[in-house]
Amino acid sequence: MADGTARSLTVDAGVDRLAGVRAFVRTEARALGASEDALVDIVQAVDEAVTNVIVHGYAGQPGAIDLAIERQGPHVAVTISDACPTFDPTVVPEPDMSIPAELRRPGGMGVHLIRVATDGFAHRPRGGRGNVLTLVRTLRARESEEA
Amino acid sequence: MSLEIAIDRVVGGAETPTAVVRLVGELDAANYLEVIDAGRRLYEDGTRRLVLDLSGLTFIASSGLVALHSLILIMAGEAPPDPENGWGAFHSLAHDVSGGPQMAVQLCGVGPAVDRVLARTGMGRLFLVHADRAAALAAG
Repeated sequence: MADGTARSLTVDAGVDRLAGVRAFVRTEARALGASEDALVDIVQAVDEAVTNVIVHGYAGQPGAIDLAIERQGPHVAVTISDACPTFDPTVVPEPDMSIPAELRRPGGMGVHLIRVATDGFAHRPRGGRGNVLTLVRTLRARESEEA
Repeated sequence: MSLEIAIDRVVGGAETPTAVVRLVGELDAANYLEVIDAGRRLYEDGTRRLVLDLSGLTFIASSGLVALHSLILIMAGEAPPDPENGWGAFHSLAHDVSGGPQMAVQLCGVGPAVDRVLARTGMGRLFLVHADRAAALAAG
């Protein structure tokens, strides 16, 4: 359940927009009460997700990416919507970090960073065409990383 | 925030030609090719060892990791991954973690945000990490 009005941003699908996306998320997540630890993580996760949409989803074609950020209880939630062919990153297998990197599945590292930086991410198809990806991260620092 | 690539010092003479490259800003999918290009130019100019001063780097995306790995390949005289291949760069990690850190590209001034990404991806095991550039240069 959202605690207030979501703040939103729409950007064109270009890698030159990534810095602006990160600045938006950093500013809004801080305003929602995110710890520095959480800020680092949610900015990383959103950057990786939006990069995937730009590079693999739109793949050079023009398009728009809608972002919305809001507080949900003890969490910050960022929703990323696009009009790309359906792709569910949550089913990308976890890379086996015990094996040499060249044997890992390509493309899995960005999703891996999303997975470890968030406390959950979910995908659903967007009505008609596209994807809606929601990234959720606790606002406070994780105990294992507070020291 | 954009990325500034500053080549602060080049050590010549009898030692391995070394360049200290300072990255300031945020390394992401918009600028990681610039880092690869800088490394390629340095290699063409005779540089065979890089010290990357990351003390001014506040963010690194997974594409930035591709750039760091490409620099290893370039300093080894190997062709870097096809820039258009993006994530395929990880296919060519010839210097894998099983062999321990390589020596041609070393890091210093790694901040918490960058260190977190290196640790979470296992890429940190590819690099010797020093506290600062003086320590990196002294390490040879």
